[in-house]
Amino acid sequence: MNRLARQSFLGVDSDHNLSKATIGIIGLGGGGSHLVQQFAHLGIGGFVLVDPDVIDLTNTNRLIGGTLADAKTETSKVEIAERLIRGLQPEARIKALKSDWRHVLDELKGCDVILGAVDSFKDRDQIERFARRFLIPYIDIGMDVLDIVEKGPLVNGQVILSSPGGHRLRCCNFITDDRLAREAEKYGAAGDKPQVVWANGVLASTAVGLAVELLTPWYKAPAGLVYLEYDGNKNSVSVSRWVTALESKRCTHYLDNETGDPAFDVRQLVTAVTAPPASVVPEAWWQKLFSQWFK
Amino acid sequence: MKINFKITTDLLVLIRADLRRHHPFAHERVGFILAGLAKSAEGVLVLAHTYHPVADQDYLPDTSVGAMMGPEAIRKAMELALIKRVAIFHVHSHGGIGIPNFSGVDIRENAKFVPDFLKVAPQNVHGAVVLSDNAAAGQFWVARDRHSQPISKFIEVGRPIIKWGGMQ
Repeated sequence: MNRLARQSFLGVDSDHNLSKATIGIIGLGGGGSHLVQQFAHLGIGGFVLVDPDVIDLTNTNRLIGGTLADAKTETSKVEIAERLIRGLQPEARIKALKSDWRHVLDELKGCDVILGAVDSFKDRDQIERFARRFLIPYIDIGMDVLDIVEKGPLVNGQVILSSPGGHRLRCCNFITDDRLAREAEKYGAAGDKPQVVWANGVLASTAVGLAVELLTPWYKAPAGLVYLEYDGNKNSVSVSRWVTALESKRCTHYLDNETGDPAFDVRQLVTAVTAPPASVVPEAWWQKLFSQWFK
Repeated sequence: MKINFKITTDLLVLIRADLRRHHPFAHERVGFILAGLAKSAEGVLVLAHTYHPVADQDYLPDTSVGAMMGPEAIRKAMELALIKRVAIFHVHSHGGIGIPNFSGVDIRENAKFVPDFLKVAPQNVHGAVVLSDNAAAGQFWVARDRHSQPISKFIEVGRPIIKWGGMQ
């Protein structure tokens, strides 16, 4: 029996496509752990899991798969994620990297899609730049709880799909120099942001839906920016006004010709080239035949 | 060495549309794809970013082939390889559906001029790509004294992402 039979509407080759796909997830806390769980259920075959942290007691209100025992033994978040995946996908290709994402760029380069569930705007900005350079769609998720004195806490969040060639997080004012500067000023003094499991779940589920749209042909989604805003007080997810505002505009924040590694030099790899020099390549059968004919 | 070739759907649509344009005397059109490169776990990633069509006046009248580029077309592409330090992939289309094959003429002509890009930009790989209406195949050179190799895999980055194996 095929455990994925109930999702066959995703396309005739969807099981194969999903098993061959490699998903990069940066940040395995409240949002990222939901992503891990859902991608494992879906049958994704390849994972690049990146997070430098270990679980602590305050993470157990939302970190999917994390237990009190993990908090006690300070288990790494990548280890918890890998354990969660192996329970559903024992043969999955998993790179569990307990590291800052900037130190594992080679592993991330090979991903089909990268999802970021990180706290800082600086990280988001840099991950998106990296993804653009390697033509990788980037899906950003994040939530926040704003303390509005008269109305009480306002739970909100966003899911943004930034596609190569399309609009960026900067185009829709999600990342601004001002925001980055304010964040830099507070660096080290921000404290822990409020986070809750259900809001993370809504955002992660929405992001997984977008990723499945990218990996299978089940729904012919229109190209372009996807920016969904979550209102946790109203329990609603709606399309941001930025999507309409940017419809006929081009991104001016990134040059499309900035792809690849500027320092790349194939001559450093050429010793590993498997093809033999031209002079010793054996003739194919048809070449031998041609040689005989035209002797 | 394996090479995976990534290109966005938007860029592919633009290239196919350009290659379908009528030319005053050539039977088909050709152009060049400019790309950045990166090392990957499997070998090399080609990351296509720009398309340069061959200008109308840079074709030569030659009824024996679909399109014959003149020396100026190749000189301009060489200049791009040298100045912009990009990988260059010659591109044309056979139309139809499914993974296409280079013709005998394509293979012969590619081998005549593509390795010359390594004279001006030896740090990069260069090659040729043939498109169909929904797929592509390609070959690349890493050194002038070596045979070409087939591009292992194409990845069209769109919604959805589409992958197919290349062949020579």
